[in-house]
Amino acid sequence: MSAQEERQEKPAKEPRGLLSSWRFIGVLFVGILVYAYAWQSTEIDLRRLVVDAPDIVHIVTQIVQPDVLTRDKEYQEVLTNFQLPCTDSPPEQMAASESEPYLVLSHTCGAPGEPLSVEGFNLRPNTRGTVRWIPPEGTTRSLAHFDSDGEGHFVEGISIPSVVESEELHQIQTELRWEVGLPYPSETARVVFDKMLETIMLALMATTLGVFVAVPLSFLAARNLMSVSRGTMVIYFVIRGIFNIVRSIEPLIWAVVFAVWVGIGPFAGVLALGMHSIAALGKLYSEQVESIDTGPIEAVTATGANVLQTIIYAVVPQIVPPYLAFTIYRWDINVRMSTIIGMVGGGGVGFLLIQWVNLLRYKQAGVAVWAITVVVWVMDFVSGVVREKIV
Amino acid sequence: MLEVENLTKIYDGGTVAVKDLSFTVKDGEFLVIIGLSGSGKSTLLRCINRLIEPTEGRIIWDGVDITQLSGEELRKVRRHIGMIFQQFNLVKRSSVLTNVLSGRLGYVNPWRSAIGRFPKEDVEQALGCLDRVGILDQAYKRADELSGGQQQRVGIARALMQEPTLILADEPVASLDPATSHSILRYIEDLNRDEGVTVLCSLHFLSLARAYASRIIALKDGEMVFEGLPAEIDDARFKEIYGEEAIQVEIR
Ligand SMILES: Nc1ncnc2c1ncn2[C@@H]1O[C@H](COP(=O)(O)OP(=O)(O)OP(=O)(O)O)[C@@H](O)[C@H]1O
Ligand SMILES: [Mg+2]
Repeated sequence: MSAQEERQEKPAKEPRGLLSSWRFIGVLFVGILVYAYAWQSTEIDLRRLVVDAPDIVHIVTQIVQPDVLTRDKEYQEVLTNFQLPCTDSPPEQMAASESEPYLVLSHTCGAPGEPLSVEGFNLRPNTRGTVRWIPPEGTTRSLAHFDSDGEGHFVEGISIPSVVESEELHQIQTELRWEVGLPYPSETARVVFDKMLETIMLALMATTLGVFVAVPLSFLAARNLMSVSRGTMVIYFVIRGIFNIVRSIEPLIWAVVFAVWVGIGPFAGVLALGMHSIAALGKLYSEQVESIDTGPIEAVTATGANVLQTIIYAVVPQIVPPYLAFTIYRWDINVRMSTIIGMVGGGGVGFLLIQWVNLLRYKQAGVAVWAITVVVWVMDFVSGVVREKIV
Repeated sequence: MLEVENLTKIYDGGTVAVKDLSFTVKDGEFLVIIGLSGSGKSTLLRCINRLIEPTEGRIIWDGVDITQLSGEELRKVRRHIGMIFQQFNLVKRSSVLTNVLSGRLGYVNPWRSAIGRFPKEDVEQALGCLDRVGILDQAYKRADELSGGQQQRVGIARALMQEPTLILADEPVASLDPATSHSILRYIEDLNRDEGVTVLCSLHFLSLARAYASRIIALKDGEMVFEGLPAEIDDARFKEIYGEEAIQVEIR
């Protein structure tokens, strides 16, 4: 009887196709609404991607030419006098010479706004230089750049700047600058190196802190060890719970907390990343303890080994290599994260980077960006190789 | 001589795995224990070296009641009882040699062994044991790089290191193919015949039991349903042990 009823009910469910197509349209409609709202609220504006591209090109070109290497500079300076305004006795031109550098002006006195031609002789050939105006009072002004030719000669037309008139003579200076010797790391590179080292050490300390706390806790958070009694199960749940909560709070937030607590600097970064590492490593370690194969423990016990020997020969080989692998991986992650942590007060290279970005010093920022990229890549590679060796 | 008297094992959940078992094994015997899965073979073997605590009964070996021993005394007895497992139970990440050497842990200075040091004679003996089971060339490989048959030979070498007078083998060939099964069982048979080591071995297949056993006991639901010579198991007995629907499978 009941079997027959069931059989009759089944065809009644046949028009499901229509029902589900209505449902499909409904879902589609809601989906479109959600995406339309999301598009609006995230202020997506594809036009700006194109229109404002030149802004970013400027920054990117500076970042890809980082201020890593520098060379010593030498310069050659020649000065001549100029009178402003003109009097009855304008200053004389510099004396011409066979080999010594000298300047010749089209006239040696004049008024602001008048054109003036500056010609140089016997300068360092094929070198970039600057023409400057040095008034007796007030600040020096750069007026033009020039390149000397193969004979060390140049001619450059300038316009006399509007400077305060005075009885004392003004000076026109040319300065040629060139680089000598081998390139060496710039000041920026040295600062970045220092801070990068600080970042790596920060990550090391955070990882160490994580390991020292997580190793003992991992045994208390392993279900197979803790399921002996109700009391131990309570400990297991409490520690697991703490791990999960701490892990779900971003290191960035820990960094803000600790920066307030112990002040901005690498120590705050160590605590922030350490906190996160304890939870992350604790979880991974305890899972490793949970997956221990009891077979070897049984076998080693059966040979007449004592508890210490059994742990060393049957347990340690099972957990130490994965522990090491997780630890190295964590250090790798911590190096990466500590650059970000630095930006909110955790010290290290991240702090430097954010400062330079705020000061719009993109060439310097570029050095930091490249240093981070290289170090993260190297850490990634090394940790990968080491992990493969261990596990 | 090994005497098992009224041995009973009841697990925490209430499962009676072994029920009031009594039998004796004379020195130099090759006793095979057969029975269906869940009949209590593993439990029985593990009770003998106290990997599992018996609930009741006594196990007397050469006049010593193993069930009364504790700590140091138990370990002194265990080191003469080699054990071979179905899943080999090697430490997978350790080298083959280290696995074999661990068979010596009951004998060596615990502190020296704790830092991984073994006497030179032990290392030589370990290499000798590996040579004996034909895998000397694998000594420095990681244990999990070996095939199943090779791993079980490492298991035998580990037991050999104990210089055992009794070997407990819990379905030593259940995870191996027939040809490999025979080669493994032959090593155990050699030990039994040439060195007089007493063997207690559980096996799934009656045909294997017939080929190697000097005596067979059969368990069913933790109780002994047969004890006698291999030839005494006829069709009626077989059905009694394995159930009415069972058919004999030959392993050659
Ligand atoms: N640790 C344990 N806790 C509770 N019950 C167990 C435990 N180990 C085994 N048992 C039960 O005891 C009974 C006997 O198990 P045992 O492993 O000794 O059988 P076996 O003959 O070795 O089987 P197999 O051929 O499958 O290895 C089974 O019912 C099993 O479920
Ligand atoms: Mg079993």
